[in-house]
Amino acid sequence: MRELELYFGPQHLGMVGNFSITLKVEGDRILEANANPGYLHRGFEKLMELRNWIQIFPMVCRINVIEPDSMEMVYSMAVEKLAGIEVPERANYIRSIYLELARVGSHLFGLWAYANMLGFDTVAQWAMYHRDLILDLFEELTGGRVYHIYIWPGGVRRDFPEGFNEKIVKTLHSIGGCVPDYDDTFFNNRIFYERAKDIGKITREEAKEMGATGQALRATGMKYDIRRVEPYAAYDKVSWDVPTREDGDAFSRIWVIRDEMIESVHMIFKLLDKMPDGEVYNKVPNPFKWNIPKGEAYVRCESSRGELGLYLVSNGGDKPYRIHFRTPSYPHGLTVLEKVLKNESIADVGNIMISLYVVAPEIDR
Amino acid sequence: MKLLKEKLESIFSSIQVSILKQDRLIISAQKDVVLSILSFLKSSGYAHLALVSCVDWLDEREFELVYVLSAYMQKDDEYIDKEKANIILKTRISRENPEFLTVISIFKNAEPYEREIHEFYGIDFKGHPRLTPLFLEREYKMPPFRKDFDTREYVKEVFDKIPFVDNKDGKK
Repeated sequence: MRELELYFGPQHLGMVGNFSITLKVEGDRILEANANPGYLHRGFEKLMELRNWIQIFPMVCRINVIEPDSMEMVYSMAVEKLAGIEVPERANYIRSIYLELARVGSHLFGLWAYANMLGFDTVAQWAMYHRDLILDLFEELTGGRVYHIYIWPGGVRRDFPEGFNEKIVKTLHSIGGCVPDYDDTFFNNRIFYERAKDIGKITREEAKEMGATGQALRATGMKYDIRRVEPYAAYDKVSWDVPTREDGDAFSRIWVIRDEMIESVHMIFKLLDKMPDGEVYNKVPNPFKWNIPKGEAYVRCESSRGELGLYLVSNGGDKPYRIHFRTPSYPHGLTVLEKVLKNESIADVGNIMISLYVVAPEIDR
Repeated sequence: MKLLKEKLESIFSSIQVSILKQDRLIISAQKDVVLSILSFLKSSGYAHLALVSCVDWLDEREFELVYVLSAYMQKDDEYIDKEKANIILKTRISRENPEFLTVISIFKNAEPYEREIHEFYGIDFKGHPRLTPLFLEREYKMPPFRKDFDTREYVKEVFDKIPFVDNKDGKK
């Protein structure tokens, strides 16, 4: 059969986000895939070198549009590490609760994209609605729905308002009450099984070789989670489990995402129970006269997609000398995706890409 | 951590190893031993290449390549101290003749990172299968992430030439 070159995306119905893949196909089979990012390259890392330590925040959270909160976290962690700032105990708890809320919201958004792609429009609408309930919580807490800039070096911007704990519990209960509905219509649905089983399969050895983290790795059975491996914020204060699956295909990855959401909700309840009173913010110097000592740091945290790292170099000035984000979608969207797409059919490109949880702005930065 | 430090120092004589706080190891090495250090670290369990980065030290006329390594878990649900560790391996290459060897043979996922560094800093990785552009669409006189590339001047130069909509026909 004749070989053809097919441009998949960025203007394609099966493509989520501004990303394109050049496919070499024979009939319906993919022989070779070349990821082609760059549609959202905004040069943030270069622009950050021209701004002082606090002015960077609006750009930091725009690197990952869907889950900006772990970006704020990793940047704050790096600055705190270089400048030697301590964080109050209550702020650590608030950070963890806030990040878990963001994780649930981000997973619901991912579920929306995935269900929509498979044609489960009802489930997609539910997921979008439930994400909106979480955005309402964020709006009350921070004033912003999508970009919050809530975590700052030294703690968080403000304490939980009165009655906010109860509101979190109420919202999460109303979302959690729909889990049986989600299971019946989507997760235990035969169509989902048929479409996703054995699609985009990677073994654990391959995943390790290609630098995969997050769901891509946990779907192969390894309980690798930075929250566990190197705990930050308040993740070592409560007990929780790392959900895994064994098969390493799209089906396993989506199930890991589902289990993770439920685990996150349980974790939020535990954290709310144990949360101490006290300050939420340690004062930092005047941002316009803030020089951070010379040095370098690599910090990492677990975003909803995998290991999120930041390599930060300061030369003792009021601006960073070099800043480089290690985003989880980078290896997933370039190395893993190119390998996994081989020998799959064109109809499954979107399926594989969303199940790998690739979000294009994270790759381009 | 200390054990690894001693071992590294005994095998490779010309390198400097320092332990930064807990779980952070920084290795500064000459450029000719980098590949052998990387394969040594990979075989001793640090098989996860998290990041390849580059820093432009303009005053010293040098580029610094940075490899960040950490370990995957050995057992399924047990965490040992070794797995918390992060290793930062740094090496310097000259700015006038930016060339280095690719590490794809050791770590497969270095491929896009090296492509990116080639594009942003103009470093030529020998043996890399495709050093094609990854992100940028325009031609640049100088790779844009170098410190002597002036972003503001570039923006003025490129985007000021585009006329405003209302005076497209030359009227002010």
